[in-house]
Formats: sequence, C-alpha cells, structure tokens
Amino acid sequence: MNEATIGMHHVSKTYPSQIRALSDVTFEIFPGEFTFIVGPSGSGKSTLLRILFCAEKPTDGEVVVQGMHVTQTGFRKIHQLRKMMGIVSQDFKLLRDRTVNENVAFILEVTGHTRKDAKEKASEILRRVGLEEREEDSILALSAGEQQRVAIARAVVNSPPLLLADEPTGNLDAKMTIEVMRIFGDLSQKGMTILFATQYTGLIKYFPYRVIQISNGQILDGKKVDVSKTDEEKAGE
Amino acid sequence: MFFLKYVMIRTYQNMKGNLFPNLITIGIIAVSMLIFSTFTLLAFNLTNFLKIWEDKIEVVAYLKRGTPSSEVEPLINRTRLLEGVQVVRYVSPYDAMAFMETKLGRQKNLLDGIQPAVLPPSFEIQLKKEFRNSTGIKEVVADLKKIPQFEEIQYGQEWVETFSVLVHILRLTQWILGGLLLIAVVFITSNTLQLTISSRRDEIEVMHWVGASPSFIRVPFYVEGLIQGLLGGGLAILFLLLLHQGLFLYIPPTIQDWLAKIPVLFLPPETIAVTLLGGMVLGFFGSFVASMRVLKYK
Repeated sequence: MNEATIGMHHVSKTYPSQIRALSDVTFEIFPGEFTFIVGPSGSGKSTLLRILFCAEKPTDGEVVVQGMHVTQTGFRKIHQLRKMMGIVSQDFKLLRDRTVNENVAFILEVTGHTRKDAKEKASEILRRVGLEEREEDSILALSAGEQQRVAIARAVVNSPPLLLADEPTGNLDAKMTIEVMRIFGDLSQKGMTILFATQYTGLIKYFPYRVIQISNGQILDGKKVDVSKTDEEKAGE
Repeated sequence: MFFLKYVMIRTYQNMKGNLFPNLITIGIIAVSMLIFSTFTLLAFNLTNFLKIWEDKIEVVAYLKRGTPSSEVEPLINRTRLLEGVQVVRYVSPYDAMAFMETKLGRQKNLLDGIQPAVLPPSFEIQLKKEFRNSTGIKEVVADLKKIPQFEEIQYGQEWVETFSVLVHILRLTQWILGGLLLIAVVFITSNTLQLTISSRRDEIEVMHWVGASPSFIRVPFYVEGLIQGLLGGGLAILFLLLLHQGLFLYIPPTIQDWLAKIPVLFLPPETIAVTLLGGMVLGFFGSFVASMRVLKYK
C-alpha cells in the first residue's frame, strides 16, 4: 500500500486559553484522494488545516505530511514543506493591486522562477481554470467566483501534490460553487490529493468523495453524514 | 544572478511604494550621521593641530647663573645622552639678547641699558618624535630636573595638557553621542521598515503560504536598510563638506587671518568610507531588527 500523503495520529490541540480545538484526531489520506472534512463552524476544521501547513503546532500527537514530520519540522524547513502543498481559503487572499496573471505569476517568482517563465506558466494555468480572457484584468474587476478560480490557479501553479482548501466555496453562490467544484474535480482526476474543509454538507450530496466528519474537535467515526437535506432545509427545521 | 535581479526589483518596488517613510528615514540617518561626523571632524582637526604643535614643541632648560663656561660642553653632552633628546642647542646670554632684539624689532630700544649678563644662559632641547607628547615630555623633563646645574625648565605644559584634555573630551562626546544616535537610528530604521512590511503584509502572507524561502522574503528588506543607510551616510558627508567649504565665507577677515595659520582639514578618505559603511551597518541592523520582529514564518 502507498505511504499516506497525510497522516494524523492522536492529534490534539489545546490553546493557551484552555480551549480544546482538536481531541485525539486520527486519520490518513492517501495519494490522489479527494477528501471532505465536514463539520460545523468552530468544529476544528481550520485548526486541523493550520496544523497541516505548520501554521500551528499540535499539543499532542504526530502529523506526517508528504513524509515530513510536521511536529518536528523546524522553522527553517517550513517553506520546504509548504512548497509541496497549495492552499486555498475562503477569503481568497489575492493581491488587489495586481492583475490576474501577476497574482499567479508572483508565486512562481518568489519560489525561484524567472519573470518570463512565471508569466507563461501563469497563463497556462489560468487557461485551465477558464480565465484566459481575464488575464490582464485587475483582481478588483472579477466576480467572487472568478477570484476564487484565480486563488485555485495560484495554489496549483507550482503543481503541488497536495491541495488544502479551507471553505473555498464559503463566499460563493450555488452556480459559482459548482464551477469551482468542477475545477477541484478536474485536479483530483489528474492525481492531486485534495483535503477540502467545509461546513456545507450539501456539497457532499453532489460530489461523492470520501468524507471525514468532525465535531467539537473530534472525528465522528462510523456516523453517516446526513446528506438527504440541504443546509438551508436543516437550518429551517 | 536571478536572485540578485529579484532582490533589486523587490527592493525598488518596496522603496517606491513607501517613498515618504523612506525619505524620512534617510533624512534622520543623514542628520544623525552629520552630528556624529561633525564631532569626528572637530576631533580630527584638533588632533591634527595638537600634532603640529607638538612637532614644534621644545624644552628650554635655564642654567644657574654663574655656571662656569667650562661646564657647558660636558653638560651639553650629558643632556644629549638623555632618552628622548634629539638636538641640544646652547643659547648664551648674548644669543638671548640678540633674539629679543630681533623679536622686538623697532622697539628694541626698550632693551637699552640692559646688560646681556642679566639673561640666563639656556639649552634649547628638541625631542625625538616619539617623545613629542605630554607623557614623553614629562619623562624628559623629569630626567632634566635631576641635573643640578639647571635652575628652571619650561615646556608650555599647560597648553599641551589643556589641548590633550580637550581632544579627549571631544572624542568622548563623539562616542557617547554616537552611541545614542546609533540606538535612535536603529529604532527609526526598524520602525520605517515595519511600515514597509506592514504595507506589504498580504504579499508576505502569500509568500509564507507558498513556501518562498526566508531569504526571498527578507533579503529585499535588508537591502532596503542598507540603501537607506548608504544614502543617509552619503548625505551627511555631503552636508559636512558644504559646511567645511562654507566655513570661511562667513568668518570675519581678522579671524580668517588667524585661522589661515591652522590648516582646517576635511575628513580623510578612510574616515569617509567608514562613515558610509557605518550608515549601511546601521540601516542593515535596523532592517534586521524589524525582520526579526515581523517577518517570522507563520
């Protein structure tokens, strides 16, 4: 069997304020898997992702990403680990004073590519997410869905084997969500390992990938996620 | 080569994007370095003046009246053998009288009726170069005082000591002030760079996310600090040069005549180089402190 791309073993995280964000979390994700981390707001999804990209250290347990022990990774090696993963967040984190192409090319420039090479590679990836017409437009001229596509293009332009997405459809309407999910599906088909954190269980209904359910910082083993109703329907009950 | 080009472009973008804070920092570095280098220039010129004066310094040893002329030659030889003595010249009462007449010029008639015999014979003693300082002179004078035939020894000790103390005070002020200015400059540079970093925080956050190496993130800010320091130091030297050149333009002619006898030098090239380098080190240190505070990988 392949070595897991992500391995979390008995991971707990307690903040100094004594808030327990994660409690004995254990799971593995294998290369090429698309996995949803589903749980309500405040369930620990973001903390889990932040631990995976070394923005936080767990209080207990072991975390292995791409063969690197995150818990033992020192400050000097964080950037090596992050080069192997792309990150997409709900608030896009795009540079508002730059064009679409510049936002994507910037990532390549700061990781050692020449400006010309970066621009060409950025154009190529923007074509793949359907933004070839908007390359020279300002980020501010784009819709939320288009901005999220730019954020995805930026996250994968380095061809990382792992993509971490934290509520990437949180700010999008239904049509744009489908558009963005289609891109994630394409990336998964091409062999990228994707960890997709969301609180919208409705997504699972339409995109039948592996689901890890989390609540109050704990993985809910064996409990099925109720996908028979949409989030709006649940909210109405 | 690629990295260098990247750093230069990023540094240019950072400085252009935060032009006003950068100009303020350069100005403050320039003023601080100007104050420091003004003290350096003053101390340098006073030291130089002291050296010139010390080069001319000689000790005069007056012989006791009635010292037989037969003792003069052996005494000259004995004095010559003292450590630190280079040349000994005997000045007889007649030589002293002739010297005074020359000095008085048209008013030499003031000496009418005065017999040369009232003037004491003396030795004018020139010292070796390494003894032409307050400590060296004191050593030679101490040896001369052991010779019983000498009645009095003069060497302008008050001048030498006062001047030496003045130079020491200047040097001390220079370094105390320099130390305080150094802390201020590091603090200011560090804060300006924090402004620059803060205005680029989205960019830096993205760089952290994608795994840009720490050198890609930090080096442009270090270079920014170096450039600020270099420009600040350069401006300080330029202002100091203008001050030095303009010094004589606004001084009354009578004082100018007096000053003309003293060479007022500008800082030597090696001190200028050290000033520029000092500015760069300060700028770099400021940016280093800023980066330690706000550019941690997170």
